[in-house]
Amino acid sequence: MAIFRRIANLMHRSSVDREIDAELESHIAMRIDENIARGMSPDEARRDALVRFGNPTATRERVVAADAMLGIESFWADLRYAWRQLIKSPGFTITVAITLALGIGVNTAGFSSMDAVVLHPLAVPAMDRVVTIAEQQNRGNYAAVTLANYEDWQKQSRSFEEMSVRTSADMSLTGAGDAAHVQVALTSASFFTVLRTQAILGRVYAEDECQPGRDAVAVLNYGFWQRHFGGDPTILNRRIELDQRVYAVIGVLPKAMQYPSEADVYLPFAPTPQQLANRTARDYLVAARLRDGVAVNQAQAELRTIADRLAKAYPATNLGSSVHLEPLLDGINGDLTPLYYRLVMGATLFVLLVVCANIANLQFARGIERRSEIAMRTALGASRWRLLRQLLTENILLGLIGAVGGLIVGGLYLHLILISMPARVARYMSGWSNTSLNGRVLAFSLLIAVAAGVVSGIAPAFEALRLNLVEQLKAGSRATTGSGRGRRLRNIFAIAQVSLAVALVIGAALMSKGMWSLLNVANAYEPEKVLTFAVTLPTARYDTPQKQAAWYAASLEKLRALPGVTHADVSTALPYTDQGWNDDLEIENRPAIPGKDQRALHLPVSEGYFAALRIPILAGRAFTKSDSLDTVPVAVVSRRFAAQYFPGQNPLGRRIRMRAGDKRFDPWVTIVGIAEEAKYTLWDQTQYAAAYLDAAQIPPPAATYAVFTSGNALALAAPARKALAKIDPALPLDTVETYKQLLNDSLTGLMYAATMLAIDALIALLLAAIGIFGVMANLVGERTREIGVRLAMGARREDVLGMILRRASRLTAIGLGTGLVLAFCLARLVANLLRGVRPDDPVVFIGIALAIAAIAFASSWIPARRASRVDPMQALRSE
Amino acid sequence: MTKTDLQGTLDLLVLKTLAQNGALHGYGVVQHIQSASGELLRVEEGSLYPALHRMEQSGWIAAEWAMTETNRRAKYYKLTAQGRRQLQQAEESFDQLVKGVRAVLRYA
Repeated sequence: MAIFRRIANLMHRSSVDREIDAELESHIAMRIDENIARGMSPDEARRDALVRFGNPTATRERVVAADAMLGIESFWADLRYAWRQLIKSPGFTITVAITLALGIGVNTAGFSSMDAVVLHPLAVPAMDRVVTIAEQQNRGNYAAVTLANYEDWQKQSRSFEEMSVRTSADMSLTGAGDAAHVQVALTSASFFTVLRTQAILGRVYAEDECQPGRDAVAVLNYGFWQRHFGGDPTILNRRIELDQRVYAVIGVLPKAMQYPSEADVYLPFAPTPQQLANRTARDYLVAARLRDGVAVNQAQAELRTIADRLAKAYPATNLGSSVHLEPLLDGINGDLTPLYYRLVMGATLFVLLVVCANIANLQFARGIERRSEIAMRTALGASRWRLLRQLLTENILLGLIGAVGGLIVGGLYLHLILISMPARVARYMSGWSNTSLNGRVLAFSLLIAVAAGVVSGIAPAFEALRLNLVEQLKAGSRATTGSGRGRRLRNIFAIAQVSLAVALVIGAALMSKGMWSLLNVANAYEPEKVLTFAVTLPTARYDTPQKQAAWYAASLEKLRALPGVTHADVSTALPYTDQGWNDDLEIENRPAIPGKDQRALHLPVSEGYFAALRIPILAGRAFTKSDSLDTVPVAVVSRRFAAQYFPGQNPLGRRIRMRAGDKRFDPWVTIVGIAEEAKYTLWDQTQYAAAYLDAAQIPPPAATYAVFTSGNALALAAPARKALAKIDPALPLDTVETYKQLLNDSLTGLMYAATMLAIDALIALLLAAIGIFGVMANLVGERTREIGVRLAMGARREDVLGMILRRASRLTAIGLGTGLVLAFCLARLVANLLRGVRPDDPVVFIGIALAIAAIAFASSWIPARRASRVDPMQALRSE
Repeated sequence: MTKTDLQGTLDLLVLKTLAQNGALHGYGVVQHIQSASGELLRVEEGSLYPALHRMEQSGWIAAEWAMTETNRRAKYYKLTAQGRRQLQQAEESFDQLVKGVRAVLRYA
């Protein structure tokens, strides 16, 4: 496109100038060469060349003009003219600028957040080449990887530039202020090379530091460095103590490298030869960078061949085990986040469409006023194309003004989004802290601004050009009504606005309704009255079941003794928290069928748990205080567990063993009771079988406490801390909050999506109301004379009122009709995202349709009344 | 009625020169037109270079820096496909112009 080349030339003017100079100089030089060849003296040759060339400065100027100014000149003139036109009608310009700023602003903020969280969460170069590799059991569940398999893959595969392995650990940080619980990623040195990341401070560890004995170095995550060390720039070479072992801090990762999102500290993973040969402990996560030109499915096919070979070589451990590859970005985003963002962005673009429809309507009205101007210019010889270009330039200018406003609105909106996100949730979102109005966002805003300008301007511009020149000039300055076609178009725009608003409002309402039910899912437990916190027992100090059990017994006793406490219990997972492990199990006297999974939620709980959470025991007994490390280990299973693994049999008295595949497997436990179902998942629709174990007999290394109170749960936080510090002052309590907050944290994403959708819906509704008002007001304005005649001929004022309102109702009804169809499609999308949302929820659909009809009626009432108040004499005279 | 004017004539000369000679620098264009016209036409540098740049911006010709036979860096121009079409049109309208002018001169 020549125009872009010219604009580009304007941008780097100086280099263009230099090039022109060089070209002209070479011309003169060639002339001199030839003159000398013909026998002139060098001086003479030079003089002659310069004389023949003429004035070099003037020539240069003209060449520059040829390069840059040809197309720009008229574009500039258009822009100046457009600016003057906009200034002439400030009311119109300001209205359009504000609506556009709103529409572009919500889009800018939405895109900016999406860009940071979903599109570019990590600063990993060529991120699409990085994949995570999981084992896949029997074409079903994805599982973490065993180290021996990882080693084999690494040796036998050709598809990868490099592979890395990591595992996680909970550790206590001591020797730097209060004891703190930190989440540690133990990684191979290749982890950093696979991600192609460098430390912003210091360095990351190297291959030779991933060996036992040389691995006492630590790299900090940026967020942890900020939170825990206040971003101390002298942190390097500081000694920190993790689980009683001293590490030297050698580096800090950049802010945009929050991966894995929960990691506070990275330590070199130094496996022992025994660990490297282990084919049962599925504890490791693998990330790898593909070689150039290798596709994800090619690499997966190669690894699957290797996995099949391994299954034949080690049938006991590897039978039924295959491999699943996934791009790193998909793993970080999960399933829901991109869907939410897509939903919200879709809705937000809808809002922009409503904005465009609104502006188009205003442009139509303005087009009628500008007819004589356009007629005049046509008469003076402007071509249709020239006028169209001019009108579109005006719209693009409007779009750009809107973009400036949009960036301000978007910046404010984004600020609100950022400050309303709780830090404890943001920590786990990889890209959240990168959110900013960066270059990509600016480009996006500019693009939609120009698009909005063109989209909203094109139909009115064509309409404005469709005029009968002679008629128009004859009519002079007399106001004329719009053409039938133009009015039809305006009606269509008003209808489109109503239907988009209907769809958005219904979508937002359904989403809010679904969210509301999720927010209240655990109300039976009175979660606002329950204080929860997590404790991880450091394995170094709590190295025997006795010590661990003693901690739980002592801590629960202290907590139960606090005033206002009705129950205090522990579990590895509380209902609806999506926590808890679904572990392999073994049933006594029933050989495992290779390749067939037997799994259940592994839930060690304290003895009062069932009473505290009001989970009825259907058969047998619950745990009692007399169950201890010295008595026979017992278990209570869920109703589903009994039905699934003992159909038609009595499970009481049978023995099972949890974590069967693991080397830290539990002892055999005897089933002594069956409990009613309790739901431990919030998002996952599946109800899992659950096996409860007695935490006094099989104490878990980490657990969540639930302290039930009769009143204010948070007021109990300080006394609880103090009471527990008396038993072990060095043990940190994590995420001290109410059960309600704990549940709500996992709904933060949904709340954001619902709120943003609601804001979009509100804006759309407001614009639709303005749209209907505009169309009706304009109609009344155009038909004032006709109404005057009608009144003069004896029409009653109620007839006029009715006539206008009927017209408005027809527009609204069509808009509602198409809107409901659109809403139904949107509702199906929302229903896929959210449990408990029916895409055909009659209350929401009917309620909102009525509400919008009422709003449309109200916004057409004012113009209708004005019509009925027309003074016939004045109306007739004014023409 | 053709729209050929004096500037159009210069464009035609340049395009034709490039069509006949392949890639040429500005100086070469001046030399060629001068010698091909039997020294009748002398192209002003002050008009030639703006014309070359305008035609480049319009996409009729493309430019490239290269070394001359005497080892000087010079900007060489050559015709593009679009330029070839333009040349054809320009030649046709020039023929029209010549016919028209001739007819007027013969009248009376």
